[in-house]
Amino acid sequence: MATPVIMPRQGQSVESCILTEWKVKQGDSVSEGDVLAVIETDKASFDLESTASGKVLELFWEADDDVPVLANVLVIGEDGENVEEFRPAGGGASVPDVSSSPDATVTEAPSSVVESSIPTTASAPISSNEVPLGGISAGVSPRARKLAFRHGMDPETLEGSGPNGRVIERDVEAVISGRPRLSASAVSKARDGMEPPIRGKGLAGMALASDMREPGAIEGAKVEQVKGIRKLVAERMIQSLQTSAQLTLNAHFELTKAQAYRKERVDGGKSKVSINDLIAYAQIQALGAHAELNAHFLGDRFAVFEKVHLGIAVDSPRGLMVPVVKDASDLSLEALSTEIKKLAIACREGTIQPDDLSGGSCTLTNLGMLGVSTFTPVLNVPEVAILGVGGIELKPKRTESGDIEYAEFLPLSLTIDHQAVDGAPAARFLQTLVTLLEENPGQQLSITNE
Amino acid sequence: MKYDFAVIGAGPAGYIAAKKAASAGKKVLLVEKSKLGGVCLNEGCVPSKTLLQAAKTYHHAKHGSIFGVEVDGVTFDYPKAHEHKNNVMNKMRDGIAGLMKKYKVDVLEGEAKLLPNSKVEINEETYEATDILLCTGSSPAIPPIPGVDLDHVVDSTGILERESLPNHLVVVGGGVIGCEFACMHASVGVPVTVLEAMPEICPNLDAEVSASLREGLSKKGVTFKLGAKVEYISSDKVTYLDDSGSNDLEADLVLVATGRRPNTKNLGLEEIGLDIDNRGGVRVDDRGATNIPGLWAAGDVTGQAWLAHAASRMAEVVVNNITGRKDHMRYDSMPAVVYTSPEVAVVGLTKEEAEERGIKVKVGRIPMTINARYIAENPDETGFCKVVLEADSRKLLGVHMVGGACSEMIFGATAMLETELREEEIEEIVFPHPTTSEIIKDVFMAVR
Repeated sequence: MATPVIMPRQGQSVESCILTEWKVKQGDSVSEGDVLAVIETDKASFDLESTASGKVLELFWEADDDVPVLANVLVIGEDGENVEEFRPAGGGASVPDVSSSPDATVTEAPSSVVESSIPTTASAPISSNEVPLGGISAGVSPRARKLAFRHGMDPETLEGSGPNGRVIERDVEAVISGRPRLSASAVSKARDGMEPPIRGKGLAGMALASDMREPGAIEGAKVEQVKGIRKLVAERMIQSLQTSAQLTLNAHFELTKAQAYRKERVDGGKSKVSINDLIAYAQIQALGAHAELNAHFLGDRFAVFEKVHLGIAVDSPRGLMVPVVKDASDLSLEALSTEIKKLAIACREGTIQPDDLSGGSCTLTNLGMLGVSTFTPVLNVPEVAILGVGGIELKPKRTESGDIEYAEFLPLSLTIDHQAVDGAPAARFLQTLVTLLEENPGQQLSITNE
Repeated sequence: MKYDFAVIGAGPAGYIAAKKAASAGKKVLLVEKSKLGGVCLNEGCVPSKTLLQAAKTYHHAKHGSIFGVEVDGVTFDYPKAHEHKNNVMNKMRDGIAGLMKKYKVDVLEGEAKLLPNSKVEINEETYEATDILLCTGSSPAIPPIPGVDLDHVVDSTGILERESLPNHLVVVGGGVIGCEFACMHASVGVPVTVLEAMPEICPNLDAEVSASLREGLSKKGVTFKLGAKVEYISSDKVTYLDDSGSNDLEADLVLVATGRRPNTKNLGLEEIGLDIDNRGGVRVDDRGATNIPGLWAAGDVTGQAWLAHAASRMAEVVVNNITGRKDHMRYDSMPAVVYTSPEVAVVGLTKEEAEERGIKVKVGRIPMTINARYIAENPDETGFCKVVLEADSRKLLGVHMVGGACSEMIFGATAMLETELREEEIEEIVFPHPTTSEIIKDVFMAVR
């Protein structure tokens, strides 16, 4: 059975995509998942993959056409199958080219000709044998779909007046012109800027006050504005992923000595430090030896910091926060531990000062306590490195005597901006870090490589 | 035989559905095991209202002196009232039969048994239908009280068949049905005692409405025993237990009116895997769809609302959905009436129900006796009208009335609820003067 491939929706605000390049031509055999075309939005380029297997029966658009989202792009099926019912109304390639008619005043012609051509061309094959069974939608025309989306309507819920109940533009127009009657109480909500659904729950579809929704509301979902920290995080994250070349390197370190060190401290009457404190401390030491990771990448310049200002990712009730331990490289392990604790509490209690949330040179993020084994941290741009810590794993290791025994390991994942740092120096940083944590946890690194 | 639509049960859901579907061009089969019109026409609404009107007429004749009408020797000929009741029922049944004929609905007498795959067996014949509506109604629920099977113990169906009045009627159950029969008998001079296990009669109504109804019926001569649990029934007595201990009541007729249960037996429902809820009703969504595609249910068999007009509306909703028009039930604006004297008519939420839903409300209450027409026509009666409004928007949420013939004006409040009118719109509606309906406008003065 012939199957159309539609232009996928690339986010809420995208109404159309440019079809930049066809990867197939009419008559080609394709399988599900094959790349059919390259398409792009104003933000990204991506492949249009086939959702069916068979022969390419017809391409509805030409390269460089601006194709509305959800419109049929091409049809895949078997030789001899009719494709007319899938032809989009505003389609490019094979649509009769009325717009090039010498009579330039007929500007409305393309749409009306195409729209009215649907019933005549589609009725013949459908009525012969393959009458769609009740309940199977005859689809929605691309023009109807576009119009419906502009008005916040779901065209699938409309009753179509096209062939076999296909929803066409005039069905959507009819609904827009005949939005449901509003109850007296719903009218007062409308005055407050709320909108009725297509069909209310009251008398004969009358919209009741309880049916009225905020503009942009989504059925079955609670919709709220993105604001505050969420908005900031959203902006920072997308900026991070769009402006940097992120590469993540993974390593493990054995916990045995770090745990022993912590026990020693407690036994020796010293303050308690966490594994996370030890990792932060080691990260600061390692950054001292690999200063190119303690840096900002500013496009045309690098800023390599003299001291380490360590950002610590904290899960707060208001969302992700990254307070910064300023001049962290000047601090002892105990002072660092205290400072991290203090900042984390301030974040959770909402008393953190804005100044404490900026000025980091490198960041540490730990999801190990939440049961995550390992993950890919996202750079806190313009920083060039961020260190992620996963959860404890039991792994076999070979002892000096050659036996195999189990030991606890922690996974580390280091994301770098490959624009600023290459993989090898980043790997060397990880090596230094792992060595420190495995051999001298809690100790200062004597910098030898000047 | 293959039909578009088969309707099982010809009560107020069934015949309305059959007519509506047929007028939309469907080929319809209507099956009824007993009489057209169902419980409503044959054992419920219609016969009881006919007898209540007889009793009311007698009462007016007896108590006309305040209007200067003096009548001597007023008597009540119960068999005659019975005859009138039967005439009304026959006329209405003929009306339904005529309607079915007009709309070319095939009517079959017999018991239906549902089979898998949209099939129904009737009188050993198998019929097929694209959609099937199950609307087999309900029957009186008889509690397991010792002595309940004695000859002088009847349910609401049995009492309507009796052609003579008792000397002393005891009604077990102070719900709507119990109150209506109590009122009817008391109005014609039969001593009536109502035994209600709960602390108040009609516990589903607004508490002030229930209390007012009880007072109104007490004036008519009905004795109420609240918090009274019937222990057993003997040939001439009903023994009940209340705070004062065990008591006996003399009774030559006992009406058991303790509720109804959906008719779901012997229909093959279990065999086809139909979903029944824990109260014994067929589970439906707000369109009347059951868990089996193509099988719908409406009315008392669903265990919802227990009202003839609700059943008819449910049937309409089903047919609308079958014929391509989206529709669903809105129980929040379902009116309910107790056809006693005084009548009770309510629609919408009570204050308590609204508050349970977290709505802030304002309430207004005004006595019926401020209404000129009301006191002119009902010199002895009290009653009131109460409105519940949403506090901020002043949207109408509920109207609760006791007094006179308030059943005839509750539809106005229903329309207001359905269109979500607020106080400011209602203020602009003109009510004819002098009518009792003005109470619905005047009650807003009392909202605070």
